[in-house]
Amino acid sequence: MNSEAAVFRGVIPESLMDPPLTVGHVSPGSLDDQVLAFPERRPPAQWYIGLAITLSALATGLGFIGYTFYTGIGAWGNNSPVFWAFDIINFVFWVGIGHAGTLISAILFLFRKRWRNAIARFAEAMTIFAVMCAVIFPLIHVGRPWLVYWLFPYPNQRALWSNFRSPLLWDVFAVNTYFAVSAMFWYLGLIPDIASMRDRTTSKFRKVLYTALSLGWRGAASHWQHFEKAYLLLAGLATGLVLSVHSVVSFDFATSVVPGWHMTIFPPYFVAGAIFAGFSMVVMVLVVVRESMQLKNLITMAHLDVMNKVILGMSCIMAYSYGMEGFTAWYSQNEYLQHGFMNIISGTYGWAGWLTITCNIFVPQLLWLKTCRTSYFWMILVAVCVTVGMWFERFVIIVISLHQDYLPSSWHIYKPTMVDFGILLGTFGLFFTLVLLFARVLPVIATSEVKAILPGAQPGHGGSHV
Amino acid sequence: MSEKTFAVLGLFESPDALMHAIPKVRDQKLGRLEAYTPYPIHGIDEALGFRRSPLGGMVMIMGVVGAVTALAFQYWISAIDYPIVTGGKPPYSWEAFVPIMFEVTVLFATFTAGLGMLLLLNRLPFFGHPVLTSRAIQGITRDRYALSIEADGMALDAAAARAALAAAGAADVEVLAEPDAVPFLTSDYVMRALGGIFAACVVAGLLMYAAIKVIPVMPPMVHMHEQPRLNPQAPSTFFRDGHGMQQPVAGTVSRGHLPIGAASQEEAALLANPLPRTAEVFAMGRKAFTNRCAVCHGALGTGVGSMTAAYGAKPANLQAQRFRDYADGQIYWVISMGKNAMPSHAADLTETQRWAVVHYVRTLQRAQNAGDQDMNAAGAR
Amino acid sequence: MSETNARTTNLLRGAMAIGAVGVVAAYFQTGLERFWANWLLWFVLFFTVGLGSLFIVALEHLVGAKWSVPIRRIPERVATLLIPTVPIGLIALGALRVLYPGTRPEALQNKVLAGKAFWLGIPFFSARAIVCFALSLLALSIFVGGSLKQDKTRDPAFNVRARKFAPAFMALFALVITLVAFDWVSGLTPEWYSDIFGVYLFAGAFLAGLAATTLAVVGLQAQGRLDGVRGDHRYNLGGFMFAFTVFWSYIGFAQYMLMWYANLPDEVIYFKARLDGSWHVVTLVLAVTHFVLPFIALVSQGSKGEPQRLRRVATLMLGAHVLDIYWLIFPVLGRTPLFSWPEVSFALFFLGLGLLWVRGAMEKGEDMPVGDPFLAEGLEFRL
Repeated sequence: MNSEAAVFRGVIPESLMDPPLTVGHVSPGSLDDQVLAFPERRPPAQWYIGLAITLSALATGLGFIGYTFYTGIGAWGNNSPVFWAFDIINFVFWVGIGHAGTLISAILFLFRKRWRNAIARFAEAMTIFAVMCAVIFPLIHVGRPWLVYWLFPYPNQRALWSNFRSPLLWDVFAVNTYFAVSAMFWYLGLIPDIASMRDRTTSKFRKVLYTALSLGWRGAASHWQHFEKAYLLLAGLATGLVLSVHSVVSFDFATSVVPGWHMTIFPPYFVAGAIFAGFSMVVMVLVVVRESMQLKNLITMAHLDVMNKVILGMSCIMAYSYGMEGFTAWYSQNEYLQHGFMNIISGTYGWAGWLTITCNIFVPQLLWLKTCRTSYFWMILVAVCVTVGMWFERFVIIVISLHQDYLPSSWHIYKPTMVDFGILLGTFGLFFTLVLLFARVLPVIATSEVKAILPGAQPGHGGSHV
Repeated sequence: MSEKTFAVLGLFESPDALMHAIPKVRDQKLGRLEAYTPYPIHGIDEALGFRRSPLGGMVMIMGVVGAVTALAFQYWISAIDYPIVTGGKPPYSWEAFVPIMFEVTVLFATFTAGLGMLLLLNRLPFFGHPVLTSRAIQGITRDRYALSIEADGMALDAAAARAALAAAGAADVEVLAEPDAVPFLTSDYVMRALGGIFAACVVAGLLMYAAIKVIPVMPPMVHMHEQPRLNPQAPSTFFRDGHGMQQPVAGTVSRGHLPIGAASQEEAALLANPLPRTAEVFAMGRKAFTNRCAVCHGALGTGVGSMTAAYGAKPANLQAQRFRDYADGQIYWVISMGKNAMPSHAADLTETQRWAVVHYVRTLQRAQNAGDQDMNAAGAR
Repeated sequence: MSETNARTTNLLRGAMAIGAVGVVAAYFQTGLERFWANWLLWFVLFFTVGLGSLFIVALEHLVGAKWSVPIRRIPERVATLLIPTVPIGLIALGALRVLYPGTRPEALQNKVLAGKAFWLGIPFFSARAIVCFALSLLALSIFVGGSLKQDKTRDPAFNVRARKFAPAFMALFALVITLVAFDWVSGLTPEWYSDIFGVYLFAGAFLAGLAATTLAVVGLQAQGRLDGVRGDHRYNLGGFMFAFTVFWSYIGFAQYMLMWYANLPDEVIYFKARLDGSWHVVTLVLAVTHFVLPFIALVSQGSKGEPQRLRRVATLMLGAHVLDIYWLIFPVLGRTPLFSWPEVSFALFFLGLGLLWVRGAMEKGEDMPVGDPFLAEGLEFRL
C-alpha cells in the first residue's frame, strides 16, 4: 500500500522534461504590453506590403468569380464525367485547414494541455477564415449562384423542400454550424482581452468601440465561473463538431457508389487529413507571426516542436489510411476498385498520386528528427509539402475516381482552366488578408488565457495540470 | 454621484494574497463578496461561496430540444408534407436524418452556452456597472486582483469595509458610489435595444427582398425571363425586314415531298417504281385512286367519272393504248406535276401513295385488257 | 477482506469448473460451428481487452501523460491477459476449417475468394495469427515487464525507452488490430469488406481496456488500495470512457450508414443478416447498451468521477463489448441468435478464467509504479 511508503520523487531524464511554457520572464503586465501593443500602434511597412500582395490575389479571385457568374460554369474545366473538380477540391481543402484551429482550441483544452493557450487564439481565427474561404465554393459552383438560397429549407411558393436525404444538404448544415460555433467560441474568448484593451486605450473612439465589443466585461469572479463553464461546454461541443463536420464532408463521397469513393474509412481518414493539413498551415503562419511580431518568448520553439509531432502522427495515420485503401482494393477483388487504384499510381494522373504519397507520407517522416522539428527551414519545407500534398490528395480522390469510373465510353481527361487557378489564388488572398487584418486589429495571443498559466498565476498548491 | 456606497474594492498584488484575504473578510459578514480578476482563479468559487453554475443543465436540455426539433422537422418535411422517394430511400430514413440531428443539437447547445452565459447568467452586455469607471479597472484587466464587498440590500458600512480589506492585506482600497441611473434596464438601454432590433429587422428584410426579388431578375442573372430567341409574331432585329416570322427559304422542301428527280416527263420514264406489288400496296393504291382519281378518270380509269360533266375538260382514258405504253415513271410524273388541265396532286398524295396509284392503274389496265395468259394464270392457282 | 477474496476466488474457480464441463459437452453435443463460434467470441474478447489495455499504457508513454502514472499499473496488469490469450488463440485456429469459408476447398469456385485464396488459406492465416501473438507478447514484455522491473531498479531509463518504443508500438498495434479484425472477425464473411473495420475493432478494444481499467481502479480503491488516486484521476477515466463511447458509436454508425446509403448488395448483406428477424432485437440492445446508456450515464460533469457510477458504467460497457463481439460473430450461425447452455457454459468458463487471471495479476508488482520518476507529479494532479 503506497500511502504508507514515502512517494518516490525520481530524477527526471532531460529528454522527458516538459519544456517551459514561456521563455524568459513574463508577467501579466509585460504580457499585456507585449501583445496588446500591436493593435495600438501603426504596423510596420512589411504589413502593408503583405496586405498589398494578399489584396491583389483576392481581387484576382473576385474578378474570376465575377467572370464565372457572368459566363457560367463552362469557364471552368468541369465537364463530363469530371463534374466535380477544383470547386470541391478547394472546398474540402479549406474546411480541412480549419480543423486544426478547433483541435487546438477545443480538444487540447479538454486534455488540459496548457501549451495550447498561447496559440489557441490565432488557430481559432484561422479556422474561421478558412471556413469563410471554404464556404465560397458551394455558393459559386452552382449553375445559378443567385438562387443558392434555395438550399435552405424555408417555406416557399414552389411547395418544395430541400432534400434531407442528400449529404450535400448535411454539408450545408454542418459547415454553417461549424462556422457559427467557431465564431462564437472565438468571440467569447476575445471578450476579456478586448476588456483589457478597453482599459488601456487612450483613444476615445477605440474606448467606445472596445467597450461595446467587450460587452462591459469586468472580470467578476461570478462571471468567470459561468464563463469557464461555457468555455468547457463549448470545447466539448466543438470537439464533437470537429469529428462530425469533416465526416459529413467525407459523406459527400462515401455515400456514392463511385469506385474509390465508397470506402467506409473515409470519415476518420478525412478528419485525420484535415488535422494534418490544418496543423501544417498553423505551423507556417505561426513561424511568420513569432518572427515578425517578436513573440518568440510566448510562441516558443517547444510549441512548434510539439505541433510538428502532431503533424508526424497524423502523417502516420494517413499512411495507415492509404495502406487500407490499397489493401482493400486488392482484398475486394473488385475490378473497378482495382482499376481506380491503378489509376492513382499510374496512368494520366499517376504523377498526382505519387506527389500526394511523397508529400504526405515520405516527406513528413523527416519530423522524426528533432533537428528537423526545431529548424525553420525543415519545418516550413515539410509544412509546404503537406499543404500541397493534401490539396493533391483531394485532387486524386475527386478527379482520378471520376475521370474513369464504371463505363469506359464515359471516360475523359480533365483539364483545369485559368479561371480555376485564379479562384484558388483568390481564396489564398482572402485567407491571408483576413489573417493580416486580424493581426493588426485584435490580440493574436489570448492574454487572459496565457496569464492563467504563467508561473505563480494560480494560488500555490503546487499542483500540476497535466 | 450619490451618497450611498455601491461597493468597496480592495486591490491585491497576487492571487495568493487575494485567496488569503477572502476567508478573513468573509467571516466579518459585511456584505456580498465578489472578486475581480484578469483571469479565472482556481478555487475562488468555493472560497466566495458561489453556487454551481446551472449552465450545464441548460445546455443539456437545449441540446435534447435541438435533437428532437431536427428529427421532427426532417421527418415532417420528408415523410408528411411532401413525401418523395429519392435515391431509392423511403421517405422516413432515420439514418439520413442523423447527421443533421447531430449538427442542430450542437448548434442549439452552443448558442445556449454562449448566449445563456452572456445574456442570462452574466447579464452582459451591461455598461453601467460602477467598476467599469473605477480607478481599479485598469489593474483588474491587467495584473491586479480585487476583492469587493458589495451592498447586499442593506446599507454598506464603507469605513468598516475599508478597514477589513486593509487588514486583510489590500494594497489599495477604493470606494465606489452608487450610480444615479437605474443600473440595468434604463429606458435608454431598452430603447436602444429595441431600436437596434428594429433596425436589424429592416435591414434583414431589405436584404432578403433584394436577394429574392430584385437581384435574380437583374442582368446577368436574367433568370431566363429574357432570352435571346425568336418568339412568334414578335419583331426581330436579326432579319433585315425586322420581322421575326419569315417565309421559308426558296427551294425549301416539305417533308414527304422531295423533288421528283426528273426534269420532264420523258426523263421521268427512267424512274423505277420503288414499291413491291403486294396486297397492301394494292389496297393503298385503290384507296388513293378512289379518293383522288376516280372522280375524273372513273372507277375503271376509262375517263368517265362523276365530275366529268361539271368539269368541262376531257380527262384521259387510262385504258387507251397510249397510256398503256406509258412507263411507270411517266404516270408518276403526271400525278405529281399535273398535265394540261389536270392539276398537280403532289400536295394530296405522298410519294408512296402516288407510286401505289401507279401500281393500281397498271392493274386496272391489265384487268380491262386481260389476255389468255392472265386467265391461265388465274385458273392455274 | 481476504475472506471475501478467498470466497470470490472459490466462486470463480467453481464457475470455471462448471463452465469447463459445459464447454466439453458443447464440443460433442452442439456441433462444431457453435462450439467454435463461442470459442472465437471469448478469444476476441480476451484479445481486445488485453491489447486495448496495452494500448492505454503505450498511449500514456507516447504523450508523456503525468496524471495517469499513479494508475498505470492497472492497465499493465490487465494487459497480461494477453498471455493466456495466446494459447486460447492457437486453439482457436481449429475454427478455421469450420467457420471460415475462405479456407475450404469450395472457395476456389467463388471468383472473389479464389483471387485471394492464398491470403485466406490456412497456412498464411495461421502465420499472420502467430505473428500478431508474438508482437503482442513482445510489446507486453517491453512495457509491462520493464515497468515491473522499474519498481525495484527505480531507473528512469525505462521511461526513456518506453517513450522511444511507443510510436513503434502504435504502428505494430495498427497492424495487429487490423489483421485480427480482417482475419478473425470479418474473415467469417470473406466476400464482405469494410476498410474501417480495423478502426471499429480498435474503438471497441480501447473502450474495453478503459472499462476494465476503471473497474479495477474503483474495485481496488474500495479495498482501500490505490490511496492517493482521487476524484480528479477518476474524472479523467470517466471522461475518456465518455469520449470513446461517442467515438465507437460514430465509427459504428458511419460504417452502417454508408452501407445503407449506397445499398450495394455485396455490402448490405452483412447488415441485413443483423437486422432480419430476431437479430434486430440484438442490434437495438447493442445500440442502447453500447451508446445510449453510457452516454446518458456519463454526460454530466459530476458523474464522471463518482466511483459507484463508474463501476456500473464500466461493467455495462464490458458487457456491451461482449455483446458487440457476439453481434459480429454469431450471425454466421443462423437467423436466430443462439443463446442457451453452451453460451452460458463458455461464459462461466472464460469469465472465471479471465477474472481469476486479472485478480491474480493485481498482486503483481506494486499497485503504483513506484519507480517512475513522474509518480509524485501524477499524484498531485488536479483538474
